[in-house]
Amino acid sequence: MALNGIQIFKMTPKTNCKDCGSPTCMAFSMKVAQGAVDISACPHMSEEALATLADATAPPMKTIKIGTGDAEYTLGGETVLYRHDKTFVSRPRYAVGLCSCMEDADVDAKLEGLKKVDYERIGEKMYVELIYVNYNPNNGQDKYLEMVKKAAATGRTLVLGCQDEAVAKAALDICKDAKPVLNGATAANAEAMSKLATDAGVVLGVSGADLNEIYDTVAKIEGLGNKNLVIDVTGADIKTTFANAVQVRRAAIKDEDRTFGYPSIVNLSRVAGGDKYMQEALAALFTMKYGSIIVVDEMTYAQALPLYGLRQNVFTDPQKPMTVEPGIYPINGGDENSLCLTTVDFALTYFVVSGELERSGVPCNLLISDAGGMSVLTAWAAGKLSSGTISKFIEEQVKDKIKCRKLVIPGKVAVLKGDLEAKLPDWEIIVAPNEAVQLVKFLKEMNA
Amino acid sequence: MPFNQKPQKFNAKINTVTIGTGDKAIALGGESVLPFYTFDGPIENAPKVGVEITDKGIDDSVPGIKAYYEGCASVADIAKKASEMEGADFVVLSLVGGDPNGDDKSVDDLVAVVKEVVAAVDCPLVVKGCANVEKDAALLPKVAEACQGKNTLIMSAKEENYKTIGASVGLAYDLNMGAESAVDINLAKQLNVISTQLGVKADKIVMDVGTAAVGYGYEYVVSTMDRIRGAALSQDDATLQMPIITPVASDAWSVKEAVASEEDMPEWGPAEERGIGMEIMTAASDLVSGSNAVILRHPQSVATISKMIKELV
Amino acid sequence: MLLFDTVFNGNDKVYAITEEAVNAAIAQHGEDKAVSFPDTAYVLPCYYSVTGTKITTLKEMKEALGVIKSLMTRERRLNDAFMSGVATALCAEFVEALKYIDGATPYEAPCAGHLPDAIIRELGVPLVTGDIPGVAVILGSAPSADEGVALVKSYQEQGMLVTLVGGIIDQVVEKGMKTGANVRVVPLGKDVTSVIHVVSVALRAALIFGNIKPGDAANLMKYTFERVPAFVNAFKPLDDVIVACGAGAIALGFPVITNDMEFTPSVPKSLIKLDDVSKFNAASLEARDIKIKITHIDIPVSFASAFEGEIIRRGDMQVEFDGSRVDCFELVQTKELTEVEDHKIELIGPDIDEFEVGSKQSIGFVVEVAGKKMQTDFEPVIERKFHSYINCAEGIMHTGQRDMIRIRVSKEAFNAGFRAKHLGEILYAKVKNDYEAVVDRCQVKIYTKAEDCTNLRHGLVTEMFDKRDERLLSLTDESVDVYYSCILCQAFSPSHVCVVTPERLGLCGAVSWLDAKATNELEPEGACQIITKEGVLDEKLGAYESVNEAVKKYSMGALERVTLYSIMEDPMTSCGCFECICGIEPLSNGVAIANREYAGVTPLGMTFPEMASMTGGGVQTPGFMGHGKHFISSKKFMAAEGGLERIVWMPKELKETVAERLNATAKEMYGIDNFTDMIGDETIAEDPETLFAFLQEKNHPALSMDPLM
Repeated sequence: MALNGIQIFKMTPKTNCKDCGSPTCMAFSMKVAQGAVDISACPHMSEEALATLADATAPPMKTIKIGTGDAEYTLGGETVLYRHDKTFVSRPRYAVGLCSCMEDADVDAKLEGLKKVDYERIGEKMYVELIYVNYNPNNGQDKYLEMVKKAAATGRTLVLGCQDEAVAKAALDICKDAKPVLNGATAANAEAMSKLATDAGVVLGVSGADLNEIYDTVAKIEGLGNKNLVIDVTGADIKTTFANAVQVRRAAIKDEDRTFGYPSIVNLSRVAGGDKYMQEALAALFTMKYGSIIVVDEMTYAQALPLYGLRQNVFTDPQKPMTVEPGIYPINGGDENSLCLTTVDFALTYFVVSGELERSGVPCNLLISDAGGMSVLTAWAAGKLSSGTISKFIEEQVKDKIKCRKLVIPGKVAVLKGDLEAKLPDWEIIVAPNEAVQLVKFLKEMNA
Repeated sequence: MPFNQKPQKFNAKINTVTIGTGDKAIALGGESVLPFYTFDGPIENAPKVGVEITDKGIDDSVPGIKAYYEGCASVADIAKKASEMEGADFVVLSLVGGDPNGDDKSVDDLVAVVKEVVAAVDCPLVVKGCANVEKDAALLPKVAEACQGKNTLIMSAKEENYKTIGASVGLAYDLNMGAESAVDINLAKQLNVISTQLGVKADKIVMDVGTAAVGYGYEYVVSTMDRIRGAALSQDDATLQMPIITPVASDAWSVKEAVASEEDMPEWGPAEERGIGMEIMTAASDLVSGSNAVILRHPQSVATISKMIKELV
Repeated sequence: MLLFDTVFNGNDKVYAITEEAVNAAIAQHGEDKAVSFPDTAYVLPCYYSVTGTKITTLKEMKEALGVIKSLMTRERRLNDAFMSGVATALCAEFVEALKYIDGATPYEAPCAGHLPDAIIRELGVPLVTGDIPGVAVILGSAPSADEGVALVKSYQEQGMLVTLVGGIIDQVVEKGMKTGANVRVVPLGKDVTSVIHVVSVALRAALIFGNIKPGDAANLMKYTFERVPAFVNAFKPLDDVIVACGAGAIALGFPVITNDMEFTPSVPKSLIKLDDVSKFNAASLEARDIKIKITHIDIPVSFASAFEGEIIRRGDMQVEFDGSRVDCFELVQTKELTEVEDHKIELIGPDIDEFEVGSKQSIGFVVEVAGKKMQTDFEPVIERKFHSYINCAEGIMHTGQRDMIRIRVSKEAFNAGFRAKHLGEILYAKVKNDYEAVVDRCQVKIYTKAEDCTNLRHGLVTEMFDKRDERLLSLTDESVDVYYSCILCQAFSPSHVCVVTPERLGLCGAVSWLDAKATNELEPEGACQIITKEGVLDEKLGAYESVNEAVKKYSMGALERVTLYSIMEDPMTSCGCFECICGIEPLSNGVAIANREYAGVTPLGMTFPEMASMTGGGVQTPGFMGHGKHFISSKKFMAAEGGLERIVWMPKELKETVAERLNATAKEMYGIDNFTDMIGDETIAEDPETLFAFLQEKNHPALSMDPLM
């Protein structure tokens, strides 16, 4: 059972010494309760308190780190099954799958292809984070190691799909400093693989014929002292894979079964290899439900644009709305003489409004000022969208760049019109309709 | 020690709503487990896939869709062809041409199209309004009259016009009503409550709680559907036990990622592939969140999603 | 003669006529002759609806007469009279059905006679939705054709369906009025029995739209009573046959209004006598509880929310009413129904065109409302909306409330014809529409004479405001029977539920107990629901079983328990839109409060956003709680932990805002003078140690209270 901030506070020294980095013990305790700070940050906790707290505050699902530097990613650490219950903390990472059974030219093409996906969306860089390199014994060790080298050279973090101890060791020798995942432990090789992973300091992936076998194998490896794991939940078919992914996560979080408290690997190349559309559907499915590393055959823009958008949405903090940068957004080739419209920086509002403006075909400028990421009415009620904030934004950031002096304000804050006219005397203030969907008609009529 | 499997059993059920008549009739809902959780219990009726067509004829903005319907001379032809699409369970006729801010077709003209389609297809039919509440209030009762006896699902009943649409669709002609709300559990619930108070039977209501294309505020969709399904199953909230139908296509095919041309966005590649991706991923996400039916446009999406459902159920 | 006797006599007469007619028909056609009305699936709709038995032949009809006879009991009880009324109606149906034998067409234009099912499906939808607000059945001849036509037109203009029986048909024809289903004026027939064709409509509507099973008479009547907004206007002279039919109407829930002042005794709510035919409309609507939507506000300027923020500058203004300089006021006052004449707008004093351009004048308006469900508690709720109502008119600006209002009318609006009475039109239309659920009648009095305004302001108005303030002060958690839940914020804070009590307003600061109450009354399925106070678990904590149940229900199971008065044990959750957050400051054994506007750090070592991120989202966080500004001075503020004496710190600005009320409560509860002087702020301390020293120096009561944890 998780402890709340007050319960944790009672065990602190209550000296407000600030050694933990927080100004007070209370602030520190609240952060620990939220999972934002580890209890070990306080150097003055008694042994007894630490033991009690470590157990109680240990998350139901471990946080596992893979990769290094810019290519380091955090997996797991989830505390809820539904984002509305709190928030999901670690987004899934996508891997493009390579296999030593592939022709060299195909591999090169895939490596080239995955580099193309590289863009930014609402402040987040979008690209293929991982490469899954699968070992097929039929094609020999050398070919595999060549492939690992090539993949490592991209700078992406690798997941080595290899259950052969010797080959795995050789592969790790090539890339272990970049902290890849070694997805290779099974019931048969658990001890050896665990040692290999521990020695190399990398995360170990565990797979098995069914959930029982995986469960036993994880327990066995944990018994060896290795808790730096991920679970490959990929089963024989799509249905089993989904059942595994859900049940592993649910056991960890709802039933607090810590043996399954690890991130997952879902390998779509195995259950839907060659069918790119099915992989699109499944990539979305497992992004929604409990994939941590999701392996696909390839990643083009057609797949990345919706998939990364989905991930960005689902893995937001429900209490912190996504925002867009304040600024001037020209639409339909709007220039300094085009009509100006303003709304809030809440991403959803921005998307809806800009979408409608694009649909209208009317060249214009969408002015986004900082409204604390709230919707129009909420921002207005909270004082984040007022005649003051709008006029200040226009005075400071717009009036020198834009010659047009017509400003359209959201219909829901029509009450601001008079004040704005007073504060921006050389601007004509126009009230838009209440709903964005009415904008197209409104703009067309205005232009007519 | 083996893994201690703990199935999640609920003592509540999603209502079963039948659409259409005869051999091809489909049933939505009926399950008492979360979407695709077959390991917890059986899923009586697999989710269904509908194909959207409009009164405006062939959608020629997407080559694959245009090609599929090639040779169709009337909306009736298009409907028939749509019903034959691989993976299609039902056809959705969207009367977008009625929008007063668009084509503003008359009620009579649109009802004539509905009648044509009713006569042309033998699969279950779903009719969507034009998204204008006043026009829909005038249009959909007439559509209901034209669909008498076909057990059609008439969507687009919103808080503003549910009375008119509910009274005609649900009461006068005993068809199924689609209760449309905007991604909010309480609005969805309220609409179900007032619709049943009006006299529409609970097992004749399908919810359209709305969606967004993935990437466009989709977090609200996930949480709304998660919570609706949670309330229906774990709280046994009868006012939220209606099955959910989700019109995916209209959102998926209108976002920038799907419509921006390859000339404008050369690095993005062909627009059609992006649109299909949007449609497939939005549909898959809606289904795993709780939709019992999704409405799609592209033959590739319909085939893929239908196959995914078969794989999972 | 007593009403019972009249009904029984009439019923007997009709029965005799019917029996005779059926026998004659059998003699003429043989008993196997088919009987039916055209174009209906319900064979003999009324009889079928009431009994569940279909009648297809004369033989069956004759047998059915026996069933009808069994309804005609003769005890002098209301039920007997009603049943005799129903029996009369069923007889009438038989008589009418006989007219249709052999496919005859007994009715000729303009009379319609029997109405087919298709028309019911078509008219039924607007009836169910309220687009046809009611069905008027007008029977007999009006005192004059003009009066008759005026009455029919008055209903027609309200969008009602008007059916005519008897002499009124000739009167309407004489005056050249158009009739037919498309104009919603339907003459049925000249015989009194033709009234059955509108009863048939009502009963078939119950079967089609109400899913009533034929033969389920109890639910049938319940449906017609609740869902078919029909009423009867019967002109004198009434005979016992008409009265017997009328009893049938009343049995279905349809009131009868008549101008026959001699013949009948009146029955409250059901049989209303009224000499003046011009008052039939209003009386009928009220008796049947029919409300007409106002779709058009009769003013010469545009009306839209887009004009809400318009500012009228001095140079553009025709006249100004300025409550800060002269006496002005606005007031909603609850009256008895008899004291209010709906839509009466009275200007007492000079109109705008009599004022000098640009001058400052007095104005006062009293909006008098009456309604069966109106409560004085709704007065301030309605009154607060005046600001946005008046502002929506183009060229009119309104600020302030109560007796501190200012209204400017622009020259442009004046030139378009805007006058004082139009303020009344706006208020009337908006109040009636927005508060339809509670306001049955509304009239507006506008005072523009300076001395009237002065007298009223310092008399009636002040008195009313004082009474309201007193009521607000007297409203305590103990003095009311119910609390309200509010889930307005669930859109972004899914599991949060506010429990709103008189002494604990919603944590957004915007929903008071009175607001929640009004919201619930106006929108019974809306965001605010009643929470009863049952199953006390702990009075001090404010823990109730009923509150827990409600919270569990409205949070969809996410929350099991909340207390009303504790921040340590199951504290109320917070959504995210709270005005303030309080959190425990352990060193000083009290709480620090931060408001949303405060940008600095609190002695807890946290800023407002940091505290908000821990407290929001509908999660219970013991030791921390979101709340409204006004709650700070409430006697219930963390009452379980000792109350507002625990407050040790708040930002200076917030402290100044709440000082007056907070000090008053502290004085009253603990006898502390100027409590706020003991409370720290950012100019005194931003860390716990400095704060503690300050509190010691001031001898703050929290330091000596029981430990918080």
